[in-house]
Parts: sequence; C-alpha cells; structure tokens
Amino acid sequence: MASTVIGAGITIEGEITTDEDVVVAGTVRGKLSAKEAITIEHGAVVEADVVGGSLVVAGALTGNVTAAERVDLQSGARVIGNVKAARVTIADGAQFKGNVDMDV
Amino acid sequence: MAANVTIIGRATRVRGRVTGAASLEIRGLVEGEIAVGGDVTIDATGMVGAGVRGRKLVVRGAVKGDLIGEESVLLEEGSRVVGDVRAPRVAIAPGALVRGYVQTGQGGEQRAPAPRAQAVAAAPKPAAHVAHVAHVAHVPAAAPKPAARHAAPTAQAAARRPPPPIVPALKKAKGQMAKKREH
Repeated sequence: MASTVIGAGITIEGEITTDEDVVVAGTVRGKLSAKEAITIEHGAVVEADVVGGSLVVAGALTGNVTAAERVDLQSGARVIGNVKAARVTIADGAQFKGNVDMDV
Repeated sequence: MAANVTIIGRATRVRGRVTGAASLEIRGLVEGEIAVGGDVTIDATGMVGAGVRGRKLVVRGAVKGDLIGEESVLLEEGSRVVGDVRAPRVAIAPGALVRGYVQTGQGGEQRAPAPRAQAVAAAPKPAAHVAHVAHVAHVPAAAPKPAARHAAPTAQAAARRPPPPIVPALKKAKGQMAKKREH
C-alpha cells in the first residue's frame, strides 16, 4: 500500500514532493516528484512534470517524465510528453506521443 | 485499488491547493488551501499551513489557518491550531492548543447526538452546552476559554481606546515644544 494516495475525486494543483510511493487516482496539476514508485491509475489525470524512481501509467498523463529506473506505460494509458528513463516499456493499447530517451 | 481515500503520507509535501469531493487524510505537510466535500483528518504527524474546509474535520496535528467544518471540527489531544474554528459543532479536547476565534452553530444545524456526546465529554460545562442546543453561537468544548476570549477583545478595545489620552499628552508635549521654540 502506497504511503501517499491521491484518491479519485481529489484535485491537487501545485507541487507534490515525497520520499515515498505515490498512487494517483485523482487529478494532479503542477509537479509531482517522488523518490520511489509512482503509479498513475486508470481514470487518473496528471498534467504535470513527473520525476520518480519508477513510474507506472495506466491513466492520462500530460507532461515530461523522468524516472531513475523505469517507466511502464500500460494498456489504456494516454501519455503526451517526453519520457526519460533507463528502461521504458509501452504496452499494446497504450497511447503515446512524445520522445523516448533511454540514454543512461 | 483502494484509491478512493486520499492519503498525504508522512514523507510527502504538497505545495498548492487540494480540492475535490472526497475525503482526505494528511500525515505529511500541505502548504496550501484544502477545500473538499468529504472529511479531513490531520494526523499527529500532519501539518497544514493554510485554511482547511471540509465536512468533518479531525485534527491531531498542526494547522496554521482557519478550520471550517460543514458538520463538525474535532480538535483532539496534541493538536495545535492557530486560526479561526467554525462549525455547527466544535469539540476541543483537553491537551489541544488553539489560538483563534471559535464559533459553533454556524448554519444552525444542531443535531447528531453521537459526536455531540463526544463534545460534551470534552466540554467542562455540559449543562450550559445542552441549554443552548436550540440556540447557536456557543463554544461547547472550550467553555472556560470564551471568558478569556471575550476578555481579550475588551482588553484590546480598552487598549484601542487609550489613544485619546495620549493625543492630549502629545498636544501638551507639542505645546511644550512650541513653548520651547518660542523661547
């Protein structure tokens, strides 16, 4: 269980900084940075630059993404923005528009 | 996943507005306004640097800003609040620190016996409290405090009133100065 959860029906406009895991099921606008894993669930809307240890996206994400380890775009994800991580996977059924940078 | 409850974790900092219809639990730091339709719980490790608005507010941590509850505000032991507290029901437990204006009964919804019982338990003057059930604008839990609170404004008013005596004093001084100038 993630230590920080942005539930469905909640909107955060601003900057979220954390040293722990984050699960987003609601709406985040601004900036989201976490040291650990970030999960953007199906139904979530993130309009923010995202920096994290690893990132799993199943919802809608607009913004640039940087992850220390990996980025996984799951089926059903809608991502617009540049993705930078050592490992990037895009599942069949994920929508994506942007650059991928797997440069380490 | 159980993501219908929002939790701002201990190691998390939010700078900005938090809005929505759902409930919130804050264990970390929120440096922005919170306005939600659900309940808000600010845990012992939680800190909020701005106003909080919600249905039921439970505070065990620190808040610097106004607390406005549509139903109730419970300030539990260990809570620190600097700001105004407004809700139909307000309970301030022993061990809670509050600095600000407290108003209960806003909107006049005076019902729901269960939390009321809690409020009475926390209140040193339950009789006065019950007597005012039909009426509004009574601070239930901080019964001894209102006197101090009411005293404070009068003290302030008294402090505000003195200027007139000071002005003549100044005028005297000015007059003396004028006299000095004349010499």
